[in-house]
Amino acid sequence: MKILAVTSCPTGIAHTYMAAEALQIAAKELGVDIKVETRGSVGAENEITNEDIKGAHAVILAVDTKVDEERFRGLPIIKVSVKDAIKDPKGLIEKAMAMEKKEYVDKVFEAKKESKEKITGAYKHLMTGVSYMIPFVVAGGILIALSFMFGIKAFEQKGTLAAALMDIGGGGAFSLMVPILAGFIAFSIADRPGLVPGMVGGVLAGKLGAGFLGGIIAGFAAGYVVAWLKKVIKLPKTMEGLMPVLILPFLSTLIVGLGMIYIIGGPVAAINNAMANWLKNMSGGSAITLGIILGLMMAFDMGGPVNKAAYTFAVSTLAAGQPSMIMAAVMAAGMTPPLGVALATLIAKDKFTEEEREAGKAAFFLGISFITEGAIPFAAADPFRVIPSIMVGSAVTAALSMAFKCTLAVPHGGIFVLPIPNAVGGLFLYTIAIIIGTLVTGFMIAVLKPKR
Amino acid sequence: MDINMMFSKERMSFDLKARTKEEVIDELIEMLYKDGKLKDKESFKRAVLKREDEFSTGIGMGIAIPHGKDSSVVEPCITFGISKNGIDFDSMDGKPAHIFFLISVPEDAADTHLHILSFISRKLMHEDVRQKLFNAKDFEDVINAFN
Repeated sequence: MKILAVTSCPTGIAHTYMAAEALQIAAKELGVDIKVETRGSVGAENEITNEDIKGAHAVILAVDTKVDEERFRGLPIIKVSVKDAIKDPKGLIEKAMAMEKKEYVDKVFEAKKESKEKITGAYKHLMTGVSYMIPFVVAGGILIALSFMFGIKAFEQKGTLAAALMDIGGGGAFSLMVPILAGFIAFSIADRPGLVPGMVGGVLAGKLGAGFLGGIIAGFAAGYVVAWLKKVIKLPKTMEGLMPVLILPFLSTLIVGLGMIYIIGGPVAAINNAMANWLKNMSGGSAITLGIILGLMMAFDMGGPVNKAAYTFAVSTLAAGQPSMIMAAVMAAGMTPPLGVALATLIAKDKFTEEEREAGKAAFFLGISFITEGAIPFAAADPFRVIPSIMVGSAVTAALSMAFKCTLAVPHGGIFVLPIPNAVGGLFLYTIAIIIGTLVTGFMIAVLKPKR
Repeated sequence: MDINMMFSKERMSFDLKARTKEEVIDELIEMLYKDGKLKDKESFKRAVLKREDEFSTGIGMGIAIPHGKDSSVVEPCITFGISKNGIDFDSMDGKPAHIFFLISVPEDAADTHLHILSFISRKLMHEDVRQKLFNAKDFEDVINAFN
């Protein structure tokens, strides 16, 4: 059995090394194998490797400075002051030897986690893209929400702070969201040469109205195109330098760009038209059915073409400025996806990464501001569980809003419009509809998500 | 390991006069200063006392290693002293300290010096080394204790 130890003291001159030596002497006397990493003024010496951690029984941290404990996760840890290791090294080692390794069940989970960490392929690429995108969504969303605080249409006044905030958040951060997602998916697949076609593909996805789902397609296409080009293009040694700066970016961007415009662009436009017509026809039928369909659409791609179709349709019902049930249903359905994921990160903490839990807090604010994009990082990371969950929640909310005959007279604004007189018809029931949809989405995700 | 460069005859006392923790720190610093290895006694003393505030450097077993890192230090070195009567140094084992190593390090010490200090610190954990130090009568005895 092997014990690991880390020693460290404030000045890193003497105690670090005395503690290390004391532990080594004691271990020798007890016949225990030990490896002691010293973190003193000369930096880390005799560093503990991952191999060491795998074969270890327990860890003694004799430290008076901050050291990284995360790497010892799964091992029993004894944490004491550096002076305790000098005073009673034998006692510490005996205590460490007596520590039980974690329960079998924990080990299984750790093994699972480890295998997940090793996951390469599509999932890893997607997560890379998502983690780079999250800060853009959060920063942009909050800036847009701030703009709304000056009034829902305040940003339409040129030269105001509200307009500036909208430009920064909407025109700046949000417009980079999909390019960053696509760019870093491609980056994860093909390294630096993947960035150019990925980001360009992402920009095109935005322009074509293909939304974040189009961006994901662009990212993967770009990454694999670059990887493929790298394999098939063989240049003489003298010209190899041209590959990363000229040949790969140019060819891959050309291929991905043309693909986006001619293969993705066409169908997206056709679908957009078809949906618009279809919705127009639907509006004659059952209000609740229409609510369900609009809810499903709002949540399906969060700001993508399907969402935009539903939203545009709703705005068109406002044309004359009269309150609209459809507009109310659509806004409610657009608020619940980020609210629902925020709720899920609270009720199922252990199923989300630290980064996601932080993003969850931001998602809450984006949700109350009717910025559906707040849910995108979560949907992109785990589309097959999250997208159905938010679709169901949004459908419930929109159907309820229709059933309650709630109305809305403005096209945007989330929670900020609720207090405006006459903006919302049936305010109380409208709030109930949003809360119920949030609960549905939150609990569905919490249940469906696997343990990490 | 050339530990000689850390010690000097000029910075050794085999009969410290001090009776308290602060007195012994002052006495050791005075030696260090007279040997020209320190530019500002007060500044260095503050660094040493600040370190003592974290927890006493009386490591027990009769040994104390007050130390400080300060820009007033000319070069890394050790000032050594033995107190026959022993001095209460708030040691971990509650017993008086007899052997003192005052370690002084400038802000930008070279790794070679720090390595020697870590070597000496490690040596102090060994019973036989400590025994030799207790019985040391002169400079050579101290150096030999580490070899």
